[in-house]
Parts: sequence; C-alpha cells; structure tokens
Amino acid sequence: MTPVRPTTLLLCLLPGVGYLLVFFGMPLVRVLVNSFSGRGPQTEVFTFTPWITLLTTPVYLDGLRFSVWLAVAPTALSLLIALPLSALMQANETSRRFFGSLYRIPLVVPGIVAAFLVLVMLDRGGMASRILTPLGIALPRLVRDEWGLGAIIASSWKNIPFMTLIISGSMAAINKDVLSAARTLGAGRFTILWRIQLPLAQPGITAAVLLTFISSLGSFVVPNLLGPSYPLPLSVHMYTEGFTKGNWPLVYAMGTLLSIVAVGVLLTYYAIIGSIGQSDAPKRAGA
Amino acid sequence: METTLSVRHLTKQFESTRALKGINLEVPAGRFVTLLGPSGCGKTTLLRAIAGITDPTAGEIWLAGRRIDALAPEKRNFGMVFQTYALFPHMNVEKNVAFGLEMRNVAKPEIAARVAAALELVGLDQHARRLPRQLSGGQQQRVALARAIVIEPDVLLFDEPLSNLDAKLRDSLREDLRTMQRKLGITSIYVTHDQSEAMALADEIVVMKDGEIVERGTPVDLYRRPRFRFTAEFLGLTNVIEADLSGSECRLPWGAVRKIENPAERASEGIAIRPEDIGIDAAKGEADGVVEQSMFLGASTHYWISAAGQELRVVTAGGQSDILATGQPVKLTLPPALHLLKTFEPAETPA
Repeated sequence: MTPVRPTTLLLCLLPGVGYLLVFFGMPLVRVLVNSFSGRGPQTEVFTFTPWITLLTTPVYLDGLRFSVWLAVAPTALSLLIALPLSALMQANETSRRFFGSLYRIPLVVPGIVAAFLVLVMLDRGGMASRILTPLGIALPRLVRDEWGLGAIIASSWKNIPFMTLIISGSMAAINKDVLSAARTLGAGRFTILWRIQLPLAQPGITAAVLLTFISSLGSFVVPNLLGPSYPLPLSVHMYTEGFTKGNWPLVYAMGTLLSIVAVGVLLTYYAIIGSIGQSDAPKRAGA
Repeated sequence: METTLSVRHLTKQFESTRALKGINLEVPAGRFVTLLGPSGCGKTTLLRAIAGITDPTAGEIWLAGRRIDALAPEKRNFGMVFQTYALFPHMNVEKNVAFGLEMRNVAKPEIAARVAAALELVGLDQHARRLPRQLSGGQQQRVALARAIVIEPDVLLFDEPLSNLDAKLRDSLREDLRTMQRKLGITSIYVTHDQSEAMALADEIVVMKDGEIVERGTPVDLYRRPRFRFTAEFLGLTNVIEADLSGSECRLPWGAVRKIENPAERASEGIAIRPEDIGIDAAKGEADGVVEQSMFLGASTHYWISAAGQELRVVTAGGQSDILATGQPVKLTLPPALHLLKTFEPAETPA
C-alpha cells in the first residue's frame, strides 16, 4: 500500500474537523473573547468588568447555584426512574412492549408544552389540587416555588424517555446468556441489576446523564414558566441581560461560566464512576 | 440407581410452535446424559426449562423428590455452561468464579480457597486476575466451567459448550470435560448437535427430533442397534438397504439371504449397515460392485460403491491396503446378521 500523503489526509479530515472548527470552535472562542470586552461602543476594549460583575453580584451567584440545581436534580430524578424502567423492559417481551409504548409519549411533546402541562396540573387551583382537595390532601406549592420543583418535574418528565431510550438500548446489548448465567449462579433480579446490568450499561448511562444534564443546565423555557421569581437560573438572566439590557459581554461571561461548570460537573461524575468501576474491574497494569 | 432429576410431560408452546411435546426424562444421579438432535429439535429449550430460564407451558420437573419447576433459577442450585461462555465481561476470572459463592454468602477466606481450587482444576490458576477478553475462547469456557462447578451444583447443564471453539481445542476440552465429570461425579445434562461429541462424552444419549424424544440408550447401543432410521442416520454414517423380508430372514438385492437381528420390529424402513461393517476386496466377496469414488482420510478410506442398483458407503481402516481406483470392480461382504430399522412416527399430541 502506498503511504497516504499528509495533504490527502488533511483533505479527508476536513469535512469533520473543519465543520467542528467553523461551527463549534469559532463561536466558542468568540464567546470567550467577547466576555472580556466593554459594552456598546467600547466593544474593542479589553476588560474584566463582565467577569467581576458576574462573580461578585449575589443575584448572579445565586443564579449559578440555581442553574446547577435545576440541572442536577432532574438528572438524578430521571435516572432514578429510567434505570429500573430500562431494567424492567429487559425482563420479558410483554413488559418491553408495555413500557416501550408508554415511555415514548413524552418524546413527542415539546418542552414548552410539557411545561404548560405541568402548570395546568400542578399550579394552585390546577387539576391536581382540585382532585385532591376534596380528599383532604393539600399539595405543597409546586409551581414557582423556591426549590423549582415544578421545573424539576417538567424537565424530568421530558428527559425520562430519552434516558430510558439510551439506557434500555445499552442494556439490551448485554448478552442474555450473561444474565441467565448470573441467575443460575444464585443472583436475584436486583443483584443482577446492580452487579451486572448497571456496570455493563454504564457507557449508555453516562451518555444519558450527560445529555440530560447539559440540556437541563441551559434550559430556558421550563424554569422561566415554572420556576420562582428568585433565584433565576443563569439562562433566564442571560436572556434578560441580553435582550432587555443589551449587556452582551455579561451574557457571554455567563455562557462561558455555564460551560465551565458543565465540564466541571461532568469531570466529577466521571471520577465517581471511575472509582466505582475500579472495585470490580482490575487495573489494566496488573493484568 | 437413585433418580436425581425427573422431567414429566414437559410441554413448551411458543406462539405458534410447540417446542416440547410432553417430554419424559429420568436422569439418574451422577449420570452424564447428552441431548442430541438437529437444530430446532427442542433440546436447548428442554435444557433451559430444566435450568428455569425458560418457563415450561405444562409439565413437572422434580429434583431428588422435590418439585422444582415453579422455583426461580437462582434457587435451583444448578450450574450452567453456555455456548457463548457468558462470563461477566467486567469482572476478572477470579471474580467470575467467586460470584456464585458470594450469592451463597460463603465466608471470604472459604471463597478464596474454593475459587483457587476450581481454577487449578481447570488449569487456569495462573490467569486469576485476567479479564475474560484477555483469554482465548477455550480458556474462557474453562472459566465458565470453574464458575459452574465451584458452587457444587446438584446438576450441571451444558448448552453446546464446545460449538464456538475450533476443532483442535474442541477435542482437548472435550477430553477434559469427560475426565472432570467422572472425577466430580456431578449429574450432567449436555446439549449438542454433534454426534461425535455426544458419543465421546455421554453415559447415555437422548436423541430428539421435533420436540420429542426419539430414543435413548448408551452410545454403543444407539450406534449398533438403533430402533429408528433417524437415529441410525444421525449417529454416524449408515447405509440403508431395501430388502425383501420373510420371517426372520431377508433377501438382499444381489440375492444373498441374511438373518435379521431384530425380527420383532415390523414396519421396516430398511436394513441398516454401517460402512465399516462391509468387507471390500478386489477378488473375494458375495456381491459385485464398482468403485464410483474414493476419499482417503488418513486413518480411514471412504468408498462410494454401486452394487445391484444400490449406492453403498464403505469405510476401511487406512494403511491396510492400497487405495482402490475409481471404476475398479470389487467384491463386497456383508456381516452375517443385519439390523432392521423403523420409521419414527411422531406421537399424536393433543393440541
């Protein structure tokens, strides 16, 4: 075989790498650069002002904390439901068909519709309280509450199907004989889920967690409709700072900060998963 | 001998097909029984039903006087070895073997000792820390075997364990399996579609077809004295000759008369003659034939001979004489007593 010339190689890589550079790398760099610029006419001036404002104003710091909360909580809640659901779908054909059709419904409902559904159901005077009040059950405040429960419920409702789709897919890829072998060796269903299915489906679970976390972290519609008036997540601040106050450098700083936080949270997640994985899998060097 | 495992009227109905049609099977303690049949005969379904992985539609399974068919597989204490090895890919060899003992809450030091002993038994004590993917197929199947026997199962179940291995490895692992089972004396049920594997391993072969048991017996009995043509043809090579029957004798196509070993069997499908039972010689014999084709296999030579309108397969031990040339006239000699075959009629089962 003739060796491939470097120019040929570059040309071959161009569609993929070039696309990433043009549509992903360049905007990202621009966001970062613009977060160090002045407002309006002073666009060309290098300044730390947006970052100082962002990192010293309590409203924005609360906003950052709230953004992370609104991303972590629905991810955890969705995972808690999607994991057993995915495992149940592996049990037999009947359960696969039943849950398989059930969990797909939210897939086709847009986020804003989901948010309105939650609003109609769970707001005070909504359907749920009208059904439950005659029974003497009072619902806690779920919409526009300080913990953002309504937003968490709506995000989870939207994300559970995506997670289930990915996780059940990676669970279905596990050799059925492996599960049968575990059963003949004395493992019950829960042990199999914990010791076999979860570790083997872990790449899929990680992908699902990643997608849910990122989409919730930047979510605007759901917290805007269902979240409290204080704190506001950074995504909502970004909107108001940009479109009503025209403070774009601050918006860019917020965007950069959200991205950094996302990377940080994901690195932490990988570290935790990695340490769990170590307990069962031997270190490669020792083998 | 005491019966360890007993399967009674076991039926399995998949959506439109009946995979098992009322199977009755007794497996005595310590016996190595092989379920043999073509693919789709129900042998794997039967094994999985015994393991509890597949729920039978009807029927009972008993183990040492206790009914177990409603018991979850994890409560049966059966060891199972799969065609795909089915090792836990994320656990090393040691952890794989220890899994069943952990499920039984065995104390840690005892687990370590028993795992080490099991790995030594299968010759993998040097590989305890490897991951399954770092082992060859044969080694992986040895780990699977160690994992199944370390729990001291009441019954060992094998689902075509050698089918994914290449021929050489298959033979050596087959011998090891045989030695190990004899040594441990664990009651074993072994599913295979490979007749030589079945004959090499089993105390008893159960031949299956279309969800039913055709017949069962020791490898020698089934090979030498099969009742049914299906068995005769599935176990090794056989010639089936049509012959005129009269009482306990038959007249062969070239006029010779022979005694029938089993005259009580009526409804004949024909006479079975194993290729190695036919004598072939250039000059001496009872029937004239012509060599159509020959195949030299080293230890033996296969001939296709046409004689009196019949195509006969003849096998001679290799190295005894020169290979007979294609087109050469030969003389054949048949054994003094011949074996009659019946057609296997599937039993009428109520739908």
